[in-house]
Amino acid sequence: MSTTALEEPRVRRISTIVTRLEQHASETPERVALRTKDLGLWREITWGEYWDVVQAVGHGLLALGVEPGDRVAVHSENRPEWVYADLGTSAIRATTMGLYPTNPSAEVGYLLSDSGAKVLIAEDQEQVDKALEVKDQLPELNKIIYIEPRGVRNYDDPLLMSWDELLALGAAHRAAEPDAIDLLMDAAAPEDILSLIYTSGTTGPPKGAMLSVRNVEFAIEALVEQGGFASPPPHAGDMLLSYLPLCHVAERIFTVWFNLSAGTQVNFAESIETVQKDLHEVQPTIFLGVPRIWEKMHAGIHIRARNATLLKRLNFRFWMRIADRIADTLVAREGNHTLGTRILYGLGYLFLFRSLQDRIGLRKCRFAASGAAPVGPETLRFFMGIGVPMHEVYGMTENSAVATANRPGHVKLGTVGEPHPGTEMRIDEATGEIQSKHPGVFEGYWRDPDKTKEAFTEDGWLRTGDVGEWVDGTHMKITDRLKDIVITAGGKNVAPSEIENALKSSPYVKEAIVVGDRRPYLTALIGIELETVGDWAERKRIAYTTYADLAEKEAVIELIQGVVNEVNEGVARVEGIKKFRMLRKELDHEDGELTATQKVRRAAIASQFGELVESMYR
Amino acid sequence: MRGRPLLYRSYEQDGGLLNTAAKRWWSAALLAVLVWVPFQASPDLVLLLATAAIAAIGAIGLNIVTGYAGQVSLGHAFFLGVGAYTAAVLNGDPAARSGVVGYGLDMWIWLPAAGLVAAAAGLLVAPIAFRLRGLYLAIVTLGLVFIGDHIFREAESLTGGVGVGRKAAAPELFGFSFAEPGTILGVPLARDQGLYFMGLIALVIMALFARNVARSGVGRAFAAVRDRDIAAEVMGVSLRRYKIYAFVISSFYAGIAGSLLYTISRFLEPGTFGLLLSVQYIAMVLIGGPATISGSIMGAAFVTLLPRLIEEVPSFVPIISGEAAGGFLTTQQLEQFLYGLLIVLFLIFEPRGMYGIWARARNYWKAWPFSY
Repeated sequence: MSTTALEEPRVRRISTIVTRLEQHASETPERVALRTKDLGLWREITWGEYWDVVQAVGHGLLALGVEPGDRVAVHSENRPEWVYADLGTSAIRATTMGLYPTNPSAEVGYLLSDSGAKVLIAEDQEQVDKALEVKDQLPELNKIIYIEPRGVRNYDDPLLMSWDELLALGAAHRAAEPDAIDLLMDAAAPEDILSLIYTSGTTGPPKGAMLSVRNVEFAIEALVEQGGFASPPPHAGDMLLSYLPLCHVAERIFTVWFNLSAGTQVNFAESIETVQKDLHEVQPTIFLGVPRIWEKMHAGIHIRARNATLLKRLNFRFWMRIADRIADTLVAREGNHTLGTRILYGLGYLFLFRSLQDRIGLRKCRFAASGAAPVGPETLRFFMGIGVPMHEVYGMTENSAVATANRPGHVKLGTVGEPHPGTEMRIDEATGEIQSKHPGVFEGYWRDPDKTKEAFTEDGWLRTGDVGEWVDGTHMKITDRLKDIVITAGGKNVAPSEIENALKSSPYVKEAIVVGDRRPYLTALIGIELETVGDWAERKRIAYTTYADLAEKEAVIELIQGVVNEVNEGVARVEGIKKFRMLRKELDHEDGELTATQKVRRAAIASQFGELVESMYR
Repeated sequence: MRGRPLLYRSYEQDGGLLNTAAKRWWSAALLAVLVWVPFQASPDLVLLLATAAIAAIGAIGLNIVTGYAGQVSLGHAFFLGVGAYTAAVLNGDPAARSGVVGYGLDMWIWLPAAGLVAAAAGLLVAPIAFRLRGLYLAIVTLGLVFIGDHIFREAESLTGGVGVGRKAAAPELFGFSFAEPGTILGVPLARDQGLYFMGLIALVIMALFARNVARSGVGRAFAAVRDRDIAAEVMGVSLRRYKIYAFVISSFYAGIAGSLLYTISRFLEPGTFGLLLSVQYIAMVLIGGPATISGSIMGAAFVTLLPRLIEEVPSFVPIISGEAAGGFLTTQQLEQFLYGLLIVLFLIFEPRGMYGIWARARNYWKAWPFSY
């Protein structure tokens, strides 16, 4: 246009997640961006409304004195307010930091004081209480904003403010200074820290990884626009279900970054307990699951099939045998069908696969991913067989989750896939550690230069801490965490996670922890899956009362022995599990045995179950 | 959203009667079959189907009071009779012989009037139901049938009296008669087909209305009263109001059904509206499925078509005679025997009636490939 010459020269803005949001809002303000389940209905939020609320939140935070570089903490389950808070914070160049809804009070205290958060956005009374309990340790915190007023309404702590009050504050501030956000968006720099993402901390206290605008933009380009995590790349017609914690980098990618870059539609699950039902309703086209979700789904299918009536049971059994054959072919041909398997699959689709996919909510799924933790190949193979296009992906917070992914048509089971284009990966000769280097690699740990230094090699590559090897020169296979590698008394290096995942592939096993460092042989602590083993026991007419009671039953131990034997057959002799003991309780985040992402804290296990472990070496 | 029928985004969508594509397709297909049938089946069968459709309206009415609201009523025959006579009187020939009253009014008057007069009768009876329930209510409504029977026999100026009777209402709407051969939209219709479509249209309208009553707040209040009247009252459901509603709506349906039913036989005899007729309707409800609209329709069709099936029996089973007197059992005795037997069997083995069988079959496939 010719008039541009007359206007004041505008600052050239860099692309950030906020400019992307603004762009969607101006181009397609009426299109649906988010859906959330409210009183039984999926309430739709358009891009226009989304951007409007985000600006109100941004202004509200400005009014509360949040300045660029300040931290705003969010402690909530997945819901629209989470992303409003995230984007509102980013819009004013401040840093978002998420807490897991399951974080107990002590951890909340640690995370808030470590990050020095100025404002906390807490979902409800539960989360508000956790913060109030430790507020004495948090000198930098000057506001707690609660989203759900129920139960909090009558608190009279001066720190508290409701979400509606924040929006009202934002509206007033916006009327007074309408350009405030625009100016801050103009000033945005690639080094701005968008997010502090705390690592789960299996070994020490959690560390806050700083992800900058530059990191996130690179991740969006690699993972979304070039189809790293779903190819063909995600588009506006794609439906996603948001249910994993948003403070984890993986869900942030699938919920927030996919949505802001490709315009996918995000559907917020009602809660983690209702995921099955929400999946059935939403039928997402792209779905990310952590191994625990896939294992649970797998076990659930088998339980329900076993409890079906005769004809259905026979039908299921027959077509699962066919699915097995299809999976064999798919695994052998990197995920590609032959004409034969395509015909078999087509027939099976009529009799079983279609309805089965529909029941688990993945009938429309064009890209299913498993990530965030290692998964047993058997589990993935099962889903491939029934027609769920399953891809294992790999990444970590420190490299903005840009590392490797299996791509459609190039799936090698048991590997985590190929490096994304535009990234560099190498395997350290001496230790076998995977190292990566690209613009997505993080800016360092928050207020921890020592750990930051440890995270990089001399020549500036990011140390992932994972041990891996190349398969056929293209695909990466992860052996284990460097710190978890077990060296037996005989001097043999063993990767426990491989054995653990093989054990966990059994629907009866929920937790498996392999022990054997500086020991004569390998042993394992095994926790049963209450649902499946309970169902199995009922079928066998074994009466039980509690988890502990069931775990200690002779018959159950025999059942697990069977699983262990099966796994032992598949591995080298030294890697076999000689003895195992049953865990008498379910591992729990609250008791410090698991991290917020349900990963096992080995040190905690070693101290808590030391006696049990020793009993296997006597 | 396409392919995601469960992703409800509004309550209209959630509460829609035909909320999935499959339901829309199957309903359209069913309607097409229902329109196609009368052009294929023999005239006597088509008339029987017309009777079934109208009887279904009556069965829906009984189901509202007995199935949904749980108030056992043996007095349904009385309300059917009130409707039938209201229509006959309003429509009757004013210049006719023999002293029966008639006003020669059109169908658009006598049809609603039949419903309203019956509903008014229901309103009179309803207060009895406030204080009684279960067996006691059944006995009182049983008394109603006998009182009604007596009135119908004695009010000769209205009913023509025992053994004489009177002509039933003729279904003539704005000059178009459903009961005579005619042409509609260029399609020639025989008498049986005309009556069939009259019954079908009336049934569709009445069934949809009943379905909407049943799934609204009124329907939920009915269910609350049925399941436990004390609990319902504690929750703020007024027993008085909803029992009145149930009886009034139910008798309105009976009145409409009664007025239309005898347009087919063209003749009314006071002795018809006895206990046996009530029992027939109870059989429809129990065999079809209590507290379901589609069940009422299935039950009515079954009970109406049963005599036709039984007529075929004597040719297979020699001890059953088609003649009025003779053989071990007459077909009529067999019919009544079967009503009783079927009610007993359904109550024991399938309390949800034919609808229950259908629901079980549907759920079997719905849950595929699992059982839950």
